[in-house]
Amino acid sequence: MENAIRISNLVKKYGTVVAVENLSLEVQRGTMFGFLGPNGSGKSTTIGCMTGLLDPTAGAIEILGERFTTESAGLKRRMGVMPETLGLFEPLYAHEFLLFIGRMFGLDEATTRKRVSELLAALELTDTSKMLSEYSTGMRKRVAFAAAVIHSPEVLFLDEPFESIDPAGVSLMKQWLRRFTDQGRTVFITSHVLETVERLCEKVAIVTRPGKLVWEGDITVLARVGAIEYDGKQFDALEALFLHLTGERYTDLNWL
Amino acid sequence: MNLELIGELVKLRYKLMWAKTRTRNGKIALFFAGYILLIMVIVILAAGGLGAGIVAVRSGKGYRMAAAILGGFFLQAILATVLLGFGMGAIFSEGEMRRYPLVERERVLVRHLIGILDPFWFLILALELGLALGMYFFGAGSFWLGLIAVLLLFVTNYLFARVLGQLVERLVSKKGGSTILLGLIMCLGLLPSAIQPQLKKNSQAFRPVVEVLRYSPPAGAAQAMTHVDSEAAVGLSILLGWIVGLGAVLVILEKRPIRVRVAQSTKLSWESPFERMGAFLGPENAILVGQWLRFYSRNNRFRMLYPLALPICAFLVILFPKQAPENSRYLASLGAFTIVGFMGTVQFAVNQFGYVGGGFRRYLLLPTNPAAVLRTGSYTFLMLGSVLIPAATLILLLFPPVPLDWHTVVLFVGCAVTAMFVMNGIALWVTLLAPRKGNYDASFGNDLSFAANVVVMGGMFALLFGPRAIAGVWPHAVGPDDWWKVFPLILIAIFFYFASLRKAETMFVVRREALLAMMEGRG
Repeated sequence: MENAIRISNLVKKYGTVVAVENLSLEVQRGTMFGFLGPNGSGKSTTIGCMTGLLDPTAGAIEILGERFTTESAGLKRRMGVMPETLGLFEPLYAHEFLLFIGRMFGLDEATTRKRVSELLAALELTDTSKMLSEYSTGMRKRVAFAAAVIHSPEVLFLDEPFESIDPAGVSLMKQWLRRFTDQGRTVFITSHVLETVERLCEKVAIVTRPGKLVWEGDITVLARVGAIEYDGKQFDALEALFLHLTGERYTDLNWL
Repeated sequence: MNLELIGELVKLRYKLMWAKTRTRNGKIALFFAGYILLIMVIVILAAGGLGAGIVAVRSGKGYRMAAAILGGFFLQAILATVLLGFGMGAIFSEGEMRRYPLVERERVLVRHLIGILDPFWFLILALELGLALGMYFFGAGSFWLGLIAVLLLFVTNYLFARVLGQLVERLVSKKGGSTILLGLIMCLGLLPSAIQPQLKKNSQAFRPVVEVLRYSPPAGAAQAMTHVDSEAAVGLSILLGWIVGLGAVLVILEKRPIRVRVAQSTKLSWESPFERMGAFLGPENAILVGQWLRFYSRNNRFRMLYPLALPICAFLVILFPKQAPENSRYLASLGAFTIVGFMGTVQFAVNQFGYVGGGFRRYLLLPTNPAAVLRTGSYTFLMLGSVLIPAATLILLLFPPVPLDWHTVVLFVGCAVTAMFVMNGIALWVTLLAPRKGNYDASFGNDLSFAANVVVMGGMFALLFGPRAIAGVWPHAVGPDDWWKVFPLILIAIFFYFASLRKAETMFVVRREALLAMMEGRG
């Protein structure tokens, strides 16, 4: 199957600090791909490089078979991104923000308006008297999600999409994401909620500091076989494997 | 009262200032240089105040002179804080302060202690202290009474600025508030020129006003400074009265937070004039220009400063003495007209992304060359500035400050266009090289970097007084006879702007990571 994302020897340094170290990944089209790692392991930096926010120090990125650079405006139109920091314009109303995004991504006026109305209704963002700055964190996440999908992208990058969203919202988003991949589109997702990743994703990559790939594989085996084998050990859950790879820590604070 | 914790928080404000300089060694040097400079300015101002005190005593009108000088300091401090935002920044918001184990009155005290300990207020204090010392050295008053009067006046001035700031903020946050404010400022600006002829005709008519002014804070301080008897106590009690009154008003205002504007209707509005305005700059820029216009049209600070540009420029001309020689009036008018094209937007143009916050990341994710964001932002400021030039021209034609012919009008307009392009060109560089994260919601406070302040203030003063300076050296250079010289200047300015834009677009792509880190509070 054709690759939706291909990263070759990606390196990102901030001065002498290495954020991503020689990372290579391939994500096939139509896959729900989980990208996991502890805090500060370079997940958001990797997504930043893949979406044009950051310039890689070395390495190459291909999205949908094309070399991705900062200038790849055409390619960006085929991608949807929900950044970790959401990137909202606080003094706008939700519909104004989504209209702006729809127009920028080349949707015609009628389609933009129709999709904005539908997204606002589906995501229960119907309180039109509030600006984005007045929304709760969960509501803001929903707006950012709507902005990522409004133009029906072929590849969707979601950085911690489910945090702060209520269970009903998460359920709706998961349903949409599954339909998304069923249509042959690709989802690249980072999350700390390992149970969700385990249930939602087919493939997972785990990175550790500094942005170093330590494991990549098919996690559907957990449902099929009941365990993932690694390093001669059996792991019955993604969490167990994750902790093994990234290092379990336990420090006792006797005053706590 | 938890004085220890209050002290820690005040210290934290200075530690945070210091921490900002840690990122680069050069900045540390700049920090020291800045503070040495500040101390020097304080010394100079104190000497100035001292000189004014000496003049006041020698003139034999100690009280009246002192009241007038202190009144001038008082008003200038208010103008600098309310209009330019100096000394009005809130380092810790009420929400942030609630994290600490402080009761409400302690939180209020910390916020205002941090506010009044801003370096800007030290400058005002230095001027006033200098005056008090001058009075004391020449035997017009007591040292201690003078010192107490200055300190009380200093607190009154701060409280007055805060209360006025709160009232203005409330006004501009309401629909039509900016227009009302504009009207009030225009009335206030016209007042001196309206009063002057009446004053000449019948000075006694204004006696009741003068009597009322005796109870103003500067008059109270002057009274305490120039007397050693019960009159001094009256002066101090006037100041104390003001402090209690203003403090109470401030507490009431702060307890009633400004209501956030809500949409007039819950129906979605799809049509907006912003994109239509943006369309004037071509379809490739329309959406982004529309977005910039919408973004700034909702900013209280912008809504206050942009409409003020025109009346301020007009007042700079109106307030110029009528009896001054015609050439001086001409040069003053030319200087004021020159700044009209950028005065309302320059504060934002030099820090284009400073108020966007997390939205900056979104700009970089859009399917367009990232530099388009910088370009459209700059075009927006040019468009907004250029709207004011024809409006100012109309005012110039309706109320000519000097005899006008079409050569003079062309020269005035040409100078305004030239200045607009040059300043917006410089603003592009400042936006990229000296940005600073600002607070979009604050109506007051000076969020600009040092370099941006130098460009804004330096640019305005250079252009305001530039014609007079040039005329001193080369009298015909700015005269209407050589009006045609403005055309090559316009061309050079336009070339400078577009050359800057081209270079800045390239630089923006390179610097976007640093800008992103700064706008998200990581840089």
